Amino acid sequence: MTATDTPIDVRPPFWRDLRVIRLVVQLVAVVVVFGLVWILGNNLLDELRQRNLPTTFDFLDQPTGVNIPDSSFDPASPIRSALLVGIKNTFLLVIVGIPLVTVFGTLIGVARLSTNWLVAKAATVYVEAIRNIPPLLIIIFVFNAFILRALPPPTEAATPLDWFVISNLNIVGPSIATTEGAGVVWFLTLIGVIAAFVVGYARTRYSERTGHPHHRILWGLAVILFFAVVGYFIMGRPVSISFPELDGRIILGGFGGLGSYFAVLLALVIYTSSHIAEIVRGSILAVPNGQSEASNALALSGFQRLRYVILPQAYRIALPPIINQYLNFTKNTSLAIAIGFSEITLITFQAIGNGSPAPQLILMLMGGYLIFSLTISLIVNYINRRLQLVGR
Amino acid sequence: MKRWIALLGALVLVLAACNGDDDSGGDDGGTTAAPTEGTVAQVEGSMAETVQSRGTLNCGVNDAVPGFGFTAADGSFSGFDIDYCRAVAAAVLGDSSLVDFRPLTAQQRFTALQSGEIDVLIRNTTYTASRDGGEGATFVTTTFYDGQGMMVKADSGIASIDDMANLSICVLSGTTTELNLAARMAAGGLAYTPLTFDANDQLQAAFIAGQCDGWTSDKSQLAGVRSQWPDGEGGPDALVILDETFSKEPLGPVVADGDSQWAQMVNWAVLCTIQAEESGVDSSNVGSYSGDDAGVKRLLGLEIEADDGTMSVFDAGLGLPTDFCSQVISQVGNYGEIFDNNVGEGTALGLTRGVNAQWTDGGLLYAPPYR
Repeated sequence: MTATDTPIDVRPPFWRDLRVIRLVVQLVAVVVVFGLVWILGNNLLDELRQRNLPTTFDFLDQPTGVNIPDSSFDPASPIRSALLVGIKNTFLLVIVGIPLVTVFGTLIGVARLSTNWLVAKAATVYVEAIRNIPPLLIIIFVFNAFILRALPPPTEAATPLDWFVISNLNIVGPSIATTEGAGVVWFLTLIGVIAAFVVGYARTRYSERTGHPHHRILWGLAVILFFAVVGYFIMGRPVSISFPELDGRIILGGFGGLGSYFAVLLALVIYTSSHIAEIVRGSILAVPNGQSEASNALALSGFQRLRYVILPQAYRIALPPIINQYLNFTKNTSLAIAIGFSEITLITFQAIGNGSPAPQLILMLMGGYLIFSLTISLIVNYINRRLQLVGR
Repeated sequence: MKRWIALLGALVLVLAACNGDDDSGGDDGGTTAAPTEGTVAQVEGSMAETVQSRGTLNCGVNDAVPGFGFTAADGSFSGFDIDYCRAVAAAVLGDSSLVDFRPLTAQQRFTALQSGEIDVLIRNTTYTASRDGGEGATFVTTTFYDGQGMMVKADSGIASIDDMANLSICVLSGTTTELNLAARMAAGGLAYTPLTFDANDQLQAAFIAGQCDGWTSDKSQLAGVRSQWPDGEGGPDALVILDETFSKEPLGPVVADGDSQWAQMVNWAVLCTIQAEESGVDSSNVGSYSGDDAGVKRLLGLEIEADDGTMSVFDAGLGLPTDFCSQVISQVGNYGEIFDNNVGEGTALGLTRGVNAQWTDGGLLYAPPYR
């Protein structure tokens, strides 16, 4: 016993003790990092003071002095509200772009594995060509080729069906206009959404019990529509469709955006989809072959096999690398500065050009993108955890 | 128990070492900061020394405004501002070719100046109070008195800015132009859509495609752009610059704050060109000046005979060579020559002197006495 105990009890001297070494390494790392930040920060402050440049954030309250396109922004508002408009515009790119890249990326990824020779080759060419072009180039190309040159100038704006106003300046479609009493309609619609979930749950139970298809999405939509329509007529039709109208270059009513917004969106969707397509393709190939064979044995159709068997498992593999692409999409929106879309980078640089201090604004810009990226990571990681738990 | 004591001892040692590290790190920071301060102080004393020891002048310029700062297809720079870079190099280094041109966007320019990437910024930069204060910039004598205008297509039917309600207007971001536009439209109670670009090339593409109805900028810039308007788009005649001038845009060289010697050297390189024109000295006659005007001789660094017969050369104590103005005029030219060669009536821009004439001709150019 003592013979076996002693070697365990005897520890090497502290300079060879793994625990001590680990502790020391970590402490040194922390000290080095904080020391560097401290030195660099102090250096920055010293240099700023020597050059009589402002070191505070007071400039945020100064008037912006410039107008921002496609917003009711008042040039007299402070710089902080201009930055908020920039954040809103970046957010609008991200919130619309991420679902789009997910859908297109998946479609193209699946197309690359298609048994149809033409479809598979077309998807391959798309992925290989787009993936190897820098996104800035795609943005400038799309803006010049698909927006500036392809669409009519605002003087000759196209108005198909009188529902849309399309020019290289704006693309606007119908929107919903509300009058008094609309709040009740929205409230009833909200109740409809809750009811739809209840009905959906009931349909799922029914389907599990009887084996009949549940059609819960159709049922849910029908319930929501029912509540909305009832509310609409009870309240005397307070909700109507607003069609865009041209007044000079300014468009009244309707819902849409600047040509440059659509150029950035389209370009980045084209670019990011090519990356997501590769991830999806790889993930599908990573699903064991037995799964396909089993679904064939169950006589599932090609679509059913993909929808119910392959893709759910493929997404489990694909999601972590797809997060990276979402983050890339978010960061690449800053390239919109090249074609003058007022997202947060352009607004920041605009403020710097008009006399606000660069170091503070660039720090804020970096912080802003960090918050954007961390939020996306958090959300998708949450979804990822949910997916992982469901299956295994 | 023993090993815990050993561990604790190790920890204390490590912490002590870390503290030591930290302190020495701090000291390092202190010592590295001290020489930095030293070098900065030295630079503050004489950016001129830095430039002279380097042997080239780093000049921040524009590369997309014909007539003022423009890169030709072969990569060579030309223009009014470019010539002033050359003039500063001729004054400080004695050779107008020793310039390293650094093309900058409107947004980059002040950061480049503050960080010392460029020695002098000559990039149609408007002298304003907030730039003087907030951007840590020192403006020297204005080389070009400009004003903001609006350019529209000739077939648009727009005759004045007040016709431009609800239209879209293209403008470069990070410029005074952008601020003036907002102010002008607000004063006229006109709603408009501003489209901001960070480079003239993309702005021009948008303007050609009809995305914007007006292009606003300094009138000289507009004239430059108009002069180079592609023939495929109708050439210069397809564009009209509206008469209204809605801002004051004094453009001139800028140096970083806190280096008064460097600022006065750049300043006098500019003033030399103005004074030379007033005195009738140009690149053709500067080498052969044989008159006996003491003022001109002082300016050109020629020997002046005193009453008692001793010869002397005037040195204003600017830190510049006594013959700096001769170098500037012989290698670059006087103000009138620089103006005529780049933007004058003989060029594609065809600008008249207007307010940029000598004070003796009713203009704003007025060099203090060189004595």
